[in-house]
Amino acid sequence: MIVDDLTILAIVVPLIGGFLTPLMGMLGRKVGSPKVRDYFALLVSIVTVVFMFYIGKAVIGQGQMLTYSLAGRLAPWGINLAVDGFAFLAGLVGSSVTLVAVVYSLGFMEQGHGLDKYYLLLLILSAGMIGVSFTGDIFNLYVFFEIMSLTSYGLVAYYRDGKALEGAFKYLVIGALGTVAILLGIGVLYGMVGTLNIADLSVRLGAIQAASGFTSPMMFALGLFIAGFGIKIGMIPLHVWLPDAYQAAPSSITAAFAGGTAVVGVYALLRSTFMLFGAVDMSTIFVFLGFVSMIVGAFMALVQTDLKRLLAYSGVSQMGYILVGVGVGGLGAGLIGVEGGLFHMLNNAIYKSLLFLCAGVIVYKVGTTDMDKLGGLSSEMPVTTLTFLIGALAIAGIPFFNGFASKLQIYFATLQVNPLFTIISVVISALTLAYFLKALGEVFLGQPTEEVKESIAESKSIPKKMLIPMVFLAFLCVLLGVLPQLGLEIVEPASEALLSRVEYVEEVLHAAI
Amino acid sequence: MIASLHYPIAILMFVVGIYCLLFRRNLIKMVMGLGILTNGVHLFLVSVGYRIGGAAPILTGGLNQFAGAPVDPLPQVLVLTSIVIDISIVALALSLIIYIYREHGTLNPDKIRELRG
Amino acid sequence: MNEDEGMSLIVKTLTRSLFPIMVLFGAYVILHGHITPGGGFPGGVIIATGVVMMLLAYGAKKAKQIVNVNQTTILESFGALTIAVLGLLGIVLIGQFLEGVPGVGYIGTLFSGSNLAILNIGVGIKVAAGLITITYAMLELEGGH
Repeated sequence: MIVDDLTILAIVVPLIGGFLTPLMGMLGRKVGSPKVRDYFALLVSIVTVVFMFYIGKAVIGQGQMLTYSLAGRLAPWGINLAVDGFAFLAGLVGSSVTLVAVVYSLGFMEQGHGLDKYYLLLLILSAGMIGVSFTGDIFNLYVFFEIMSLTSYGLVAYYRDGKALEGAFKYLVIGALGTVAILLGIGVLYGMVGTLNIADLSVRLGAIQAASGFTSPMMFALGLFIAGFGIKIGMIPLHVWLPDAYQAAPSSITAAFAGGTAVVGVYALLRSTFMLFGAVDMSTIFVFLGFVSMIVGAFMALVQTDLKRLLAYSGVSQMGYILVGVGVGGLGAGLIGVEGGLFHMLNNAIYKSLLFLCAGVIVYKVGTTDMDKLGGLSSEMPVTTLTFLIGALAIAGIPFFNGFASKLQIYFATLQVNPLFTIISVVISALTLAYFLKALGEVFLGQPTEEVKESIAESKSIPKKMLIPMVFLAFLCVLLGVLPQLGLEIVEPASEALLSRVEYVEEVLHAAI
Repeated sequence: MIASLHYPIAILMFVVGIYCLLFRRNLIKMVMGLGILTNGVHLFLVSVGYRIGGAAPILTGGLNQFAGAPVDPLPQVLVLTSIVIDISIVALALSLIIYIYREHGTLNPDKIRELRG
Repeated sequence: MNEDEGMSLIVKTLTRSLFPIMVLFGAYVILHGHITPGGGFPGGVIIATGVVMMLLAYGAKKAKQIVNVNQTTILESFGALTIAVLGLLGIVLIGQFLEGVPGVGYIGTLFSGSNLAILNIGVGIKVAAGLITITYAMLELEGGH
């Protein structure tokens, strides 16, 4: 009973905490210490993660799905929350990434201006992420998704210089198109069956599918959803905003995007397509789109000269792996494929945020991420070098790091469907290793360039608060690489939940009876 | 036939909006195009809930008022919420444009390209 | 906008009489949100428009004296807090978030629909405060986001 309440509290606490942050900021200024606001934000994010922990014990440990009806109005007429394994995974990643970003920001953003709004937006971003994951109503999902998007647009523009503004505006326009697409999709679905509850939609759409196959309004809505949610996760060809936005945003925010909004975007995409339209038919699309993203992302990353853009494109490439994994899962590999894809999603969140945080340290110390100007940073920043190395090895899929475990699973899964897929995936992995080694070499090894020496001479030492989350994430990379069972414990229920349409529906609708 | 008129108009708005968004070389007109686009979708949504001969779902005379079928109020609520979301998007976009204008002195998106690759 | 002096006398007088009416109307729309069209959002917008009207007519300096950004920030948070408190009260007293605290009254009158009216007030305050902040920021009266 109490755990059920935690699901709604996990959304409300960061939301209200976010809105209270400016008050805390004003209070802090009166008292003379801006730290009041920072520690308040930290407290809120810690509390949210603690909630996640308890929810996890119920959902993963006891295998039950939590449902919660808002305002006491029962599904399918009222809005309800529905937390199954998959929702929990997304929510967990979202809240943890926020915590990491907040801790990192405590050190990274010390000299920032307008920090009241920064923490406000960050906390509301996390509320949006958890909201998308936990809700069981598709319009509610849309609203929280927009909350997530709007706060991200604002956060990208934080630095307010030319690059930030351009990146934010591009992101906004493309994101708004995605918004419209999703809304239109919801409208079409509502026109078809007259309900907004995900479980109810699933039942009725399934009935239509069984009766008359895959009708064209359904295909239209499906396409709209894939387009709308695909924009957020950086799926080719909807990724155009991604490099600019990821490059221009503060690195802590980019880490939150790569580890948080992208993951939640995948959740929304998979939840809406698998739950509403049935798994098997979708899978070919996902495999196709996944491969395109994988390949194009990797090739674009090869030619980048800016570290953050390189990381952004490699993120697009990894997103391809996730889609391929889930896709072949539907096509015939079954649970292994979906598990591989979701496990990769989890790992991607971990090592991508790690890599972006490293980039942030570089910005903090040297002031630029242009790889032509960097070099020889290993002597100045040993911790960063080591963590970046760990992240790079993880993303390339080297054994003993978490990337290897999930990639191996994806290879197995693709092998069962078509060996050609496996070959492509392996080749792209090798390519990933290649461009990361190049990045590593250019940035950290070799002789320091003139600019580097100058900036380092004038800069201050790196605050511990920035290093702690990086070390933690690197540790997770190694831990999950050596003991992948830990990750699989969370991912397995998630994959089962994703594939089982019937159980979800039963839980939600029966709770109403 | 009145019910059917809404949909083509909605789609028309949608298309006009996309046109403005893509082909106008002025940031503010792009934002206006976005506004037209979203309102086209809203019109579509509200039309979905239309019932021929239905009454407006406003309760002024007690429960017996809805003896005839009211128009479906749910899409109207959806649209209300969506309008709010769109206000926020437009407000954010306009603030960004103000800053961009201060930085670059021009509103032509082709001239404002600092990021490459 | 460099209109520190505001507009002509006619405009100023008219605005001064219109302003309370607009605020009143906005409050009406907010409070009756559960019976008539409108509710928190449009009502908040109406109130904010009233303030913006005063801003236009009287110029920046005078407007700042009436409503100041710190006040709006506090109001905004207050609006959010109202909603949150109501929701949490729902959990504590009844068992689910947002469940009706005053209970459902007579349909069609002002006191119906359980806690919707108070929620609308919270939303209305928040929306009005937010829009005013945005307007001020756009005009660079206080800077910031």
